[in-house]
Amino acid sequence: MNVVRLAGRGVRDLADHPLAQVFTLAAVTLAAFLAGLFLLLLYNIDRVMLEQRGEVTFQIYWKPGAEQKEIDKAWEALRADPALKTIATFTPEQAYEELVRSFGREVGRDALGARNPLPATAQATFAVPTDDAEWARGLHQRLKGLANVQDVHFNPLQMDLAKSWVNISRGLVWPLIGLLALVAGLIVGNTIKLAQISRLDEVEILRLVGATRFYIQLPMLSGGAFLCLVSGVLALLLLKVFQLLVHNVLNIPPLFLTIEFLPLSQALTLFGGLVLVGLTSSWVAVKE
Amino acid sequence: MLVELERVSFNFGNNWALKDVSLRLDKGEFLFLTGPSGAGKTTLMRLLYAALPVTRGVRAEVCGFDLKNLKGAQVPKLRREIGVVFQDFKILPRKTVMANVAMALEVRGTPRELVERRVRAVLRVLKLEDKAYEACERLSGGEQQRVAIARSVVVNPKLILADEPTGNLDLGLSRRLIEVFRQFHAYGTSIVMATHSSEILRMAPEAKVLHLQDGMVCGDMCSVESQPGPLVQPMTQAERAAMEEDAEGGS
Repeated sequence: MNVVRLAGRGVRDLADHPLAQVFTLAAVTLAAFLAGLFLLLLYNIDRVMLEQRGEVTFQIYWKPGAEQKEIDKAWEALRADPALKTIATFTPEQAYEELVRSFGREVGRDALGARNPLPATAQATFAVPTDDAEWARGLHQRLKGLANVQDVHFNPLQMDLAKSWVNISRGLVWPLIGLLALVAGLIVGNTIKLAQISRLDEVEILRLVGATRFYIQLPMLSGGAFLCLVSGVLALLLLKVFQLLVHNVLNIPPLFLTIEFLPLSQALTLFGGLVLVGLTSSWVAVKE
Repeated sequence: MLVELERVSFNFGNNWALKDVSLRLDKGEFLFLTGPSGAGKTTLMRLLYAALPVTRGVRAEVCGFDLKNLKGAQVPKLRREIGVVFQDFKILPRKTVMANVAMALEVRGTPRELVERRVRAVLRVLKLEDKAYEACERLSGGEQQRVAIARSVVVNPKLILADEPTGNLDLGLSRRLIEVFRQFHAYGTSIVMATHSSEILRMAPEAKVLHLQDGMVCGDMCSVESQPGPLVQPMTQAERAAMEEDAEGGS
């Protein structure tokens, strides 16, 4: 009970210097908001990356002159694959018609002539299991092994891009968030230290009348933690408002991207991290 | 024995502020520490409430605590046995009289109802009851010093250390304050008071005197009346006039 009373006193003591606390609150909130912005950016890029990485398209070319019945069987087998999302198949004739159409009917026939040089093809898009980075190369080998298949193309960059992003985010964005946490910690710590200096007389008197270190320090710790708690709530509110404002800013052709808010786990991590930073920096500040 | 110092010394760098000081104080005794500025009175006081460590000494005990081997966690326990009063009051001017006095009980975890009851009782004795909820900055110097005394006695300490408590007060107020100390002494509280004024000594004839000079004890502890010669600063003419005026006003 005494602990609760002391912690409550620390919160009440904040009201002794309201202007200083408002400035601290603003500074910590903005630092937390900036950290939240980086987290929001990271989360949304991750999300987009995962969506793109989640589908890999293979272009499969059969040998010219291969039996269409054999090819049809292969197409059926592909359609039965549970990982297949979409498939577009082209007989040599259909591929020729597509090509001619894309050139313009007259120009196309003149350029290509009467002889059809194109093989049967299929453009198959598969959903990639998120936990298997080598899956695409394995599928590539399996498709190449199909009967009468001459070649299979896919863009390995689609896979590598996601890996690169993970490396970038680990190497750049997280350190930046760490730096902002440090800034928030320094601000809170400095404020607590200033509060302590302005209360040196009180601390001296408390010591004279037999106050323990715990009795003197706990209110300061609780004050710092409370400051960060309020800052955390304000920063998350600001972040939500910001997210709502920019939600559809990138939802235009050809991007069609929406900015989503942080998932609960990340929002709680940001909030808890800030309270932890406040407690740590307060503890460092009050430690003799 | 409440205080027992035997050949205790303390130094600031190469400067020995106290040299081989010995002192014994029984329960219920009233002792004046006298001597000129720089004699070591305040240093000895600070040593007694563990604000300074004992550099050297055969024995140093206060209220049962061994100052030579005092651990950090024991310091608050020692200070809960002692009330300390300073020349500059050391009160929080923006807080109320009640808050200032209650502070000493709150750090001990005394229940709230009891805190208020005890603070009121002490304020009544010190004639401050009607000022309980006034901010200390609005009180006179004498009242502020009485708040400081109230804070030190509200916990019923075994020992009160008062370092020049009348230093900022005129003679009239000093007399009233010494009366307050004598009153608590009569209840059985031991008091050690540092002063450099001979007039203050005469206000408590039952007290003993220990004279310090250059960090050393001069002579033996003796009673106020039997002290040999002018060991302390004589009263100035202005002080004497003020005292006489106050005495006349009081009568």
